Amino acid sequence: MEKTIYLRLRHRVQVHPNDTVSIGDIAQIIGFNETISTKIKELPIYQITIQDKNIVVIDIINVIKEIKKYDPAVDIQTIGPTQTLVEIIFKRKKFTLGFLVLIWFLLFVGSALTIMNFHEDVSMQEVHQRIYKLITGKYEEKPLLLQIPYSFGLGLGMILFFNHVFKKRINEEPSPLEVEMFNYQQDLDHYLIMNENKESLKKIDDN
Amino acid sequence: MTINILLTIFVGLAAGLAVGAGFVAFLTVLGVIPRLTQLTKTNKYIHLLEWSVVLGAVTGGWVSLRDSIFFLSKYWLVPIGLASGIFVGMLAAALTEVLNVWPILAKRVQIEDKIIILLMALVLGKIVGSLYHWIYYVSQ
Repeated sequence: MEKTIYLRLRHRVQVHPNDTVSIGDIAQIIGFNETISTKIKELPIYQITIQDKNIVVIDIINVIKEIKKYDPAVDIQTIGPTQTLVEIIFKRKKFTLGFLVLIWFLLFVGSALTIMNFHEDVSMQEVHQRIYKLITGKYEEKPLLLQIPYSFGLGLGMILFFNHVFKKRINEEPSPLEVEMFNYQQDLDHYLIMNENKESLKKIDDN
Repeated sequence: MTINILLTIFVGLAAGLAVGAGFVAFLTVLGVIPRLTQLTKTNKYIHLLEWSVVLGAVTGGWVSLRDSIFFLSKYWLVPIGLASGIFVGMLAAALTEVLNVWPILAKRVQIEDKIIILLMALVLGKIVGSLYHWIYYVSQ
């Protein structure tokens, strides 16, 4: 009981290139014996090298191996994730303003073209002329009274969907965009865990 | 004769059923209604919103097939245009989201914190493109 520790790996940690990752960096540890858990936190687990590119996966089995090497009598109780994603942060390239402007106009023109194609595709002009006739009983070649509010409504609807009208949050719930970003990150992490982790794949010709 | 009438009723009902089910399925996939209830906190009244969609579809179908005319003031067109624009805008926003464009774009361009600026490009593009279409393009 004296030597029991509880170990929980963090899901994702960030380190600098050439850092030495210690167990305390990637895991939360509590134990009844303070000195043992402090010592364990200081144990090195991985040395980042230049070959590592930008993601390293550390499996819980390696953490247990290191701890057992230090003191075989420690009883390790593991909780939570069975691996940690170590993200190596290189100096971030600062994006240029010109690049942002280019992307901005790319999206702007693309978005304008898609809505025009959509309108042509569903004969929106005829539908609007029809609605004008329906309400007023008169034929109008260009029912702009309907179409200008419609155009502004388009933008308003998109903003409403992504919830940027109410800048201050009305509630804690995330917007669909945030959920989508989260899901995408989750999928990427899952892929990395399965494919970058040498412990989780075993091929037929591996030793 | 009676057989003909019954057959026509049956075909009409079947076609309506298929189109109506498809319409609702499309709305469900895009998740526009849950999003609206989430924004306005009206989850309790979700069945009322369902009825609004159903009645809207039935009314739209009826007036377009019967060529009804209401002889109202033309200023009724302003709220109708705005409402239909918001609806189409929400569909468009939901589509870009479903297609997973945003997370990939944000990763590639590496500007996760500036994504609102790019979102605005899309929104303004839609407004300007639509206005250009109605005011100039259609009269070409």
